[in-house]
Amino acid sequence: MEYGLRVTSPAEPPRDLRDACPAAWRSLLPDGSTVALYFGTEFCEDRLSDFQEAAAFCSLARDHDLEPTLLTPIVTPEGLRTVGRLLARLTASGWEPAVVFNDWGVLGLLRDSYPTLPRRAGRLMNRSLRDPRAFRDRKADGATHEASRYARLRGFLARLGVTALESDADLDGGYLGDGPDETGAGLLRAIHLPFTFAASGRGCPLKARLYAEDGGFSKALADGCPGPCRAGPIRVQRDDCPMPLWRGGNTLFYELPPEAAEPWLLRTDRVVLHEAATP
Amino acid sequence: MKILAPLRSSEEVLPLIAEGAHEFYCGLTPPGWEKTFGQAWVHRRNPKSAGVADLEDLRRIVDLAQPRPVYATLNAPSYPAGAVPHLLEFGRLLLDEIGVAALIVAEWELLLALCEQGLGPRLHVSSLATCRNPGAAAFYRSLGVSRVILPRHMTLREIEETAIPGLEWEVFALNDGCVFEEGICATTHAFGPFCMDDRLAARSGRLDRRYEFWKWTLNNCGCQMSRGYTLGPCGLCALPRLARIGVASLKVVGREASLARKTASVRLAAVALKRAERGAGPDDIRASVVSMRGAPELCENAHLCYYPDVWTGEPGSC
Repeated sequence: MEYGLRVTSPAEPPRDLRDACPAAWRSLLPDGSTVALYFGTEFCEDRLSDFQEAAAFCSLARDHDLEPTLLTPIVTPEGLRTVGRLLARLTASGWEPAVVFNDWGVLGLLRDSYPTLPRRAGRLMNRSLRDPRAFRDRKADGATHEASRYARLRGFLARLGVTALESDADLDGGYLGDGPDETGAGLLRAIHLPFTFAASGRGCPLKARLYAEDGGFSKALADGCPGPCRAGPIRVQRDDCPMPLWRGGNTLFYELPPEAAEPWLLRTDRVVLHEAATP
Repeated sequence: MKILAPLRSSEEVLPLIAEGAHEFYCGLTPPGWEKTFGQAWVHRRNPKSAGVADLEDLRRIVDLAQPRPVYATLNAPSYPAGAVPHLLEFGRLLLDEIGVAALIVAEWELLLALCEQGLGPRLHVSSLATCRNPGAAAFYRSLGVSRVILPRHMTLREIEETAIPGLEWEVFALNDGCVFEEGICATTHAFGPFCMDDRLAARSGRLDRRYEFWKWTLNNCGCQMSRGYTLGPCGLCALPRLARIGVASLKVVGREASLARKTASVRLAAVALKRAERGAGPDDIRASVVSMRGAPELCENAHLCYYPDVWTGEPGSC
């Protein structure tokens, strides 16, 4: 098993990445080496790193012999330009991060303009259900992990030069497939733990807080946001979900029951650990 | 621009045509589906409350609607193992034997499978596929699909940039908002709408009340009607701008709604479209809508607007 660490500030990563997890996860996660440092965002284009921050993450990754890995979200036309400008400055400065895309437009940008950057399909490319309410009456082993699901999509992505698939734990399994075969053909697999996203959108309540009574939500979709969510996730109380939930800006996450992660750990090449439920 | 109306029964076709519907969409669960795939939904909407009863009724719908096209949804965000080959066969049946004009598809595995069969020109990409920029649009155009349905949460300027040539564009016009982006909401309405029970922390105070109010407007103001019309999200004042952008189709949401609600919604959209075609601007259209539907206070503050930037006065915005 190899590990990636998702960080939100360019601070020193822990020596053992499992120390970044809640206690229940530490005994579950197998030994392995850390190979990648993840930064950026998969959920909100206003949380994309600017050049200085991205360069600091790349520098931190280099100092620890890790692959810098830039997360990118679904983007608007302006967001697509922002990703393009960021990649232009990073590559002009000599950085060659792997890029996690969640948008066909970003994949097109990578193929057309940055063909040397490793391309990884992100969590939102897997649209399988993750409803936390399903855990009320469903055993943790409810996922079939049938790898025939999405076989065509995996082949398609591989032909577009994608090297890896990433996901968090969904209710069906199978999306990540069987991984590379003995000849090396096939996509590498990565699972994000311990937080799974439940729902995301553009009507961010934390952003709405910045507006007067009648503003925010639908009326502020295209306004830039300074990212009040950078202060950290907020615990969400719901009676219909048996596990902890968190609001990370525009996205609701839940902490996966550790036992539900076990079958996924048998079917992945990399674990991306998150210190917090961060968009 | 055409008005796209929702259907769940052949009995609804002629009343909706009489009100001004130009094209239709509906969903049907394949016969025998539940036996193999249990409770998994074939569509985003609940098949029991929103689906057409059977193939025979779908055949009647297609016959009654002619020459207006009928589109069929196969737009669940994902499917269980083994479902895609089944849906491929069912999609072919709908297109080749029933006479459905196009399939509305969200899931990429199914979309790719249908394209491999040469059916791209008879595919509409669902709003659940979250096509939100011109690069994503170019991807779908490269697959050969005929239409892309844009997600709800886009501004007019973003629509303008995304709606590249070579595709038909469909946008939301009336009813039924979403709190989250439906394409990246990984929950299912089989357990009830997840978003309606989403609450901010108790200490959020006024923000919590604002969030509840916003959700209430998206939920058709608590499923209210006014003078027979749904008090829900509305993009009608943006029709002049949408026409200039080149949008082809205006989606009226609500397959599961009563016929009375559907006909009223199509009537309202038809009046607004006629006004727009005669050169009316957003203010005139709003006046017409309010004169029919009432509730001017919800329009005055743009609380129901799908595209509130129609009022921001950007160059060319109206």
